[in-house]
Amino acid sequence: MRKIANFVAGVLVIFSLSAAAAETKQTFSPLAEKLPARDFSLKDMDEKTYQLADLRGKVVLINFWATWCPPCRKELPSMERLWQQFSKEDFMVLAINVGEDADTIFAFTGTLEPAPSFPILLDRDSAVLKAWPVRGLPTTFVLDREGRVVYRAVGGREFDNPELVAQLRGLLQNRR
Amino acid sequence: MRFRRIPGGNRNRTVSRSTLVVTALFNLFLFTIASGAETQHNRDPETGIETWEVLDRGVRLSLTQILPDQARAFYLARGFDSDATEVYAKACLFQTVLRNESGGVIAFQLADWRYLTGRRAFRLKLETEWQYEWERRNLPEPARIAFRWAQFPLEQTFEPGDWNQGMMAYPLPRGARFDLRFKWRADGKMFESDLKGVRCAEDR
Repeated sequence: MRKIANFVAGVLVIFSLSAAAAETKQTFSPLAEKLPARDFSLKDMDEKTYQLADLRGKVVLINFWATWCPPCRKELPSMERLWQQFSKEDFMVLAINVGEDADTIFAFTGTLEPAPSFPILLDRDSAVLKAWPVRGLPTTFVLDREGRVVYRAVGGREFDNPELVAQLRGLLQNRR
Repeated sequence: MRFRRIPGGNRNRTVSRSTLVVTALFNLFLFTIASGAETQHNRDPETGIETWEVLDRGVRLSLTQILPDQARAFYLARGFDSDATEVYAKACLFQTVLRNESGGVIAFQLADWRYLTGRRAFRLKLETEWQYEWERRNLPEPARIAFRWAQFPLEQTFEPGDWNQGMMAYPLPRGARFDLRFKWRADGKMFESDLKGVRCAEDR
C-alpha cells in the first residue's frame, strides 16, 4: 500500500511539473528546411492501416507519445479538442504510441476527458520513432499539404492554445 | 609598459595593459554573477519529495527526487525483472526537466555534463551504457524501449518554448549530496551553470 501511495505521490509531483510547462511559450517552431516527411505505415488500435503518403493534401499533426510519459498524458485532451475544432477541414491527427500494446493504451485513453477520437497508431518496435528526428517524448511535427515537415514542438503543449491554432489555420489556408 | 592600439572612429585610442586587466576582471565578475544563478529548493509537504531548480540565462533546469519504490513500480510495470529493477532503483534517481525559456535556440549533450562531489567531477552514466546492462540481462525489447524513452535525452536542440522531462541516475548512495554542472550551447558559445546541493532520496 505504501508503495502505491509513493508511486501516486510521485506521479502527482511529476504532473505538477508538467502543469508548470503549460505556462511557458505555446508555439510550434518553424523548421528552416522544409523536408519531405519520412513515410510510414502503421496500424491503429482497430487494426486499420494508415499510410502517411495517403494523407498528402491534408495538414497532418504527428505526435509521438507513451502512456507512461506525464507530459504526453497531459496534452492528449487538448489534442482531441484541436481535432474536434478542425474536424470539417483537411486536417489529420496521428498520435503514434511508442512500444505499448492496444490494451494498455485503451486502459489509459478511457480515463481521459475528452477521450481521443483521432487515430492512435501502434509503433510497437519503435522503428518509426527511430526513423524520425525524435530525441525525447513527447515530440510533435506538423506537415503541410505537400507532405513537408514545417513545424516541430518538443515537450508538452496545449494544442488548442490560440497561438498554435492560428499557426495551423495558416497552413490550412494555403491551398496548392 | 606596452600599449595596444585599437581603432576608435576618427581617432586612434590607446589602452594600457592595466585597463585591459581591469576590463577582463570586470567581465569575469559579470560572468561569475551570470553563472552563479541561485538554486531554489522545494520540499513537497505531503510527500516529502524534494526539488532543486535553477534558471540561468533563460535555461531552467530542475531535478525532482524519484523514490526507489516509485522506480520499482515504474519498471516492474514495463517488463523489467526484479533483479534489473533493483539495479536501477538502487541508484540515485531524479526526474529531470530542462526548458528553453530564452529567446534563442539552445543545444545540449549529456556527455558534457558533470556531477560534482568531494571536489571531484564525474561524468554521468548515460542511457546507452544502461542499455548494455539490459541487453546482457536479456530484458525484453518493450522494456528496453520504455527505458530508452523514459530517460532524459542524451542530446537535444530546443527552440524557444521547447522542453523535455526524463529520468537520470547517479551512482551515489542514499542521502548523498552533489552539485550538477550542466552545459548548453547557444549562439556558438558554450555556457554552464550549477544546480547546487542536490540530495539523493532515502529509501523510505
